[in-house]
Amino acid sequence: MFSLIYRMVRDRALAEDLAQETFIKVLNAIKTYKPEYKFSSWIFKIANNAAIDHLRRRQIDTLSLDGSPTARSPEEMHASAPQLGDQGESPLDEVESRELGGAIEQAIARLRPEYRSCILLRHVEGHSYEEIARMLDLPLGTVKTYIHRARNELRGYLEGARE
Amino acid sequence: MNERPQAHLTADEVELWATGLLGAARTFHLTECAECLAVAERERKLLVELAQLQRFAPSAEFADKVLAQVRIQTPSGSHHG
Repeated sequence: MFSLIYRMVRDRALAEDLAQETFIKVLNAIKTYKPEYKFSSWIFKIANNAAIDHLRRRQIDTLSLDGSPTARSPEEMHASAPQLGDQGESPLDEVESRELGGAIEQAIARLRPEYRSCILLRHVEGHSYEEIARMLDLPLGTVKTYIHRARNELRGYLEGARE
Repeated sequence: MNERPQAHLTADEVELWATGLLGAARTFHLTECAECLAVAERERKLLVELAQLQRFAPSAEFADKVLAQVRIQTPSGSHHG
């Protein structure tokens, strides 16, 4: 479960926070768990939701880093954008680039989050298509389409990287 | 009379082949279709790479941090944590 979150957000400290949030939600909501649902699937569902929610929030934050949405010119956009200093690479950054720096990891990172979740749940975590459909509240056909498209994109990225 | 050539493998069948689960009749198609064989080989290579990805673990303090935040209900109804 930690691997899934880490590959989704690509930030070790953040992945630990989200994994912690997941476990706390699971333990506090244990009475609402339905036994007809596989326990590991329930945990993965909560973990994946935490990662996707974070990525959506970050997308909004990233947009706001470009400057005020009400800016009327590129100059106004630039003037209203927060200034970020160069903080250099921390030891944790080095761990992340070692762990997630390989060609396949970088190719996975380029997938859109929905495809990334599906491909990781299927081919890294080993869940069935049906389990993934239940976890992500998606129709089975959509899950299959996402996974097939994700595999095509991954092959394309990897072949491009090797040329 | 010539036998009708088999249809190309579907994406689902390619995945089944790559994981060793495709039936013999459809697997036979790969012996006579270089196009499907090339696609299937590329697919298998990708699936092997994905299956071999490193498993990551959180830091050693992770479990303690989680337990420190969990509300454990006692029989009297009060919470520890």
